[in-house]
Amino acid sequence: MEQIEVQNNLIDFVVSELLNDRTDVDLQPQDDLLSSQLVDSLGVMRIIAFLEERYGIRIPPSDVTIENFIDVQTISTYLVRSNG
Amino acid sequence: MIYLLHQSIDHLAARDPDKAAFCIPGQSLSYGEMAASTNQLAHLLAEHGVERGDRVGIFTPRGLESAIAVYGILKAGAAFVPIDPQLPSTALARLVDDCGIRVLVTHNAQKQVINAYAAEHTALDLVVGLDSAVNGIATLSWSQLDQFPAAAAPSVRATEGDLAYIMYSSGSTGTPKGIMHTHRSGLAYARLSADVYGISGDDRIANHSPLHFDMSTLGYFTAMYAGATTVMIPEAYTKIAASLAQLLEAQGVTIWYSVPLALIQLLQRGLIETRDLSRIRWVLFGGEPFPVKHLQELMRRWPQARFSNVYGPAEVNQCTYYHIPRDSDGEPQIDTDQPVPLGAVWQNTEGLILAPDDTPVVPGAEGELVICSPTMMHGYWGRPELNAHAFYRQPLYEGFDKVYYRTGDLVRTREDGELLFLGRMDRQVKVRGYRIELDDIEHALTLHPGVEEAAVYPVKADGGVNHIEASVLARGGGSLEPEALKAHLAQRISAYAVPGRIWVRKEFPRTTSGKIDRRALQAAAENPTTVGT
Repeated sequence: MEQIEVQNNLIDFVVSELLNDRTDVDLQPQDDLLSSQLVDSLGVMRIIAFLEERYGIRIPPSDVTIENFIDVQTISTYLVRSNG
Repeated sequence: MIYLLHQSIDHLAARDPDKAAFCIPGQSLSYGEMAASTNQLAHLLAEHGVERGDRVGIFTPRGLESAIAVYGILKAGAAFVPIDPQLPSTALARLVDDCGIRVLVTHNAQKQVINAYAAEHTALDLVVGLDSAVNGIATLSWSQLDQFPAAAAPSVRATEGDLAYIMYSSGSTGTPKGIMHTHRSGLAYARLSADVYGISGDDRIANHSPLHFDMSTLGYFTAMYAGATTVMIPEAYTKIAASLAQLLEAQGVTIWYSVPLALIQLLQRGLIETRDLSRIRWVLFGGEPFPVKHLQELMRRWPQARFSNVYGPAEVNQCTYYHIPRDSDGEPQIDTDQPVPLGAVWQNTEGLILAPDDTPVVPGAEGELVICSPTMMHGYWGRPELNAHAFYRQPLYEGFDKVYYRTGDLVRTREDGELLFLGRMDRQVKVRGYRIELDDIEHALTLHPGVEEAAVYPVKADGGVNHIEASVLARGGGSLEPEALKAHLAQRISAYAVPGRIWVRKEFPRTTSGKIDRRALQAAAENPTTVGT
C-alpha cells in the first residue's frame, strides 16, 4: 500500500462522492475535513466503508478518532502504518 | 434584577469571576473574562455605529468566540443573528440583505466565503474577527478587542421587550424566516429550563448544537442564567463518536442536549463502555423522534441518568417535556408501539388543540397544537403576511385577546394527559433536527433546465432516522446525471437539505388524479428490491 496512492484515491472519493464535485473546493491532503463543513458524521462512515472495501481491510472502531481522521494525509499515514 | 440576557454574565462575574463560563478542549473562559471581553466587543461595536435595535450577524463555528459574540452584541443593545457557518456566499448575502445586517462577527475559518461575498456584494460595512483585510469592507481582528475598555459595557438603555436575537429557520430554499426573540422570551426559556432540570452552578452542560440551531439556547442562555459551565463541542468531535465520548469523560459533562442521531452514534461507535460517563445526570433530546430501540439501549447503558424528550418549535423555544419513566429496577418504561410522547406543557404555558375551524377538539381527538407562553417569539422578521397567519387569537374580553403560536404540528392527548405527535400539517420534515421543506427542494430541482418534474420525499433508513431522496423526470426524455443535479442544488440550498440520492426515472407512479404518488416512491425507496430506475 503506497501512501501517495491512498491519498489520491481518497481525495477522488471525497470530492466525487461527498462533495458532489463542487467546483469551488480544491481539496488538499492537509485540509481539515472535520472542523470545516466538508464532511459530516455520515461522511466519515462512508470514508471508512470506502477504505475497507477498496483495500480489503478492517478499521477497528477504537482507531476512528480525530487524531487519525482529521485530514486526507493523516488518514493515509494511519492506513499505511497499520496495514503496511 | 435580571431582565436582560447579558445581565446574567455580569452578575456571575461579580460573584464568582474565576468560575468557568465556557470551555472547549484545552481552553476556557471564566465569567470574569467573559464579562471583560463582551464589554470590549460592545464598545468596539458602539464605536463603529452599532446602536440599540441593530442586527449584527454571527458567522463563526461554535467556540469561545461565538459566546463572546452573542453577549458582546447584546451588551451593545443590538440583536444577534446566528448565520449557518456553512452557507455559501450567495445565501449569506440573501440573509444579510433580508435582515439589514451591516456588521458581521466572524472567524478566520470563514475568510474564503467572506472574500467571495465581498467580490459581489456591498451591504456589509464591518467584519470583526479576521486577521487580514477584505476588499471593500473594514475588518478588525479578535486581538484588536484589547484596545477597547473592559471594565464596563457602554451605557445603552434597554428593556426586556428589546429584540435580542433572530433565529433563521427553514432556510433550505426560497426566503428564510427570521424568528424574532426578545430578552423576555429568551430569559423566560432560561428560567423555565433551569427550573425543570434543576440546573445549578455544579453543572457542566455540553453544547452540541451550532448557534443557528435553537437547541443551542440551553448552553448559551440557561447555563449562564444558572451560573453553570457550558462545554462547547467543537465541530470535529460531532463527527467522530469515539473522540466525543472521550471529551465527555474528560470534561465531566453532567447535562447533554442534542438531536437523537448524535446519541445513536455515541451508542453505536462511541465505545462508551470504555468511558466513565457516570456524571451525566440529564440526557435531553429533541428535534425529531428518538427510535425507541436505541433509546432503551442507551438508558440501560446510563442507568444513573434521567432522559427527557424536549419539544418546542424554535418559535416558542421549548413548551413541553416528557421524562421517560423507569421502573424500580431502572428499566425504561417506553411503549414500543407508539413514539415517545411529547409530554405536557410546562409551567407558565398553555396549549390548545384546534380543529381546522379553530374550535377546540374533543378530548383525545387529533388537531393542531397552539401554544401561549412567555417563551414565544415576537413574530417573523419583516414578514407581515406570515405573522398574520402564525398566531391564533382567542378573544377573552373586549379588546383583550390571548395570543397563541400555531405550531403546525398535529397532536392528540393520550388518556393519561400526555401529548402524542402525529405529524405535520405541511410537508415539513426533520432531518438530524433540521427543518426541511420538501416542496422547496422540489421547486429548486425544477429550476434545473433538464428537469421536467421532481418529487422529494423522506426515507426512513436503518434505525428509523430520516433521509431525503428525490426522483426526477428528464425534460423531453433527455439524459440527466444525478451528480449534476446535486451540484445544482448545492448552489441553492443548505447542504443538509440536498437529497442523499436522486433517481432519474422514465415515469412516475401517479395517483388516480394524476398527481405524483410520492408515497409509492417513498415505499419503493424503503424496500429497495422493488426500486427500478
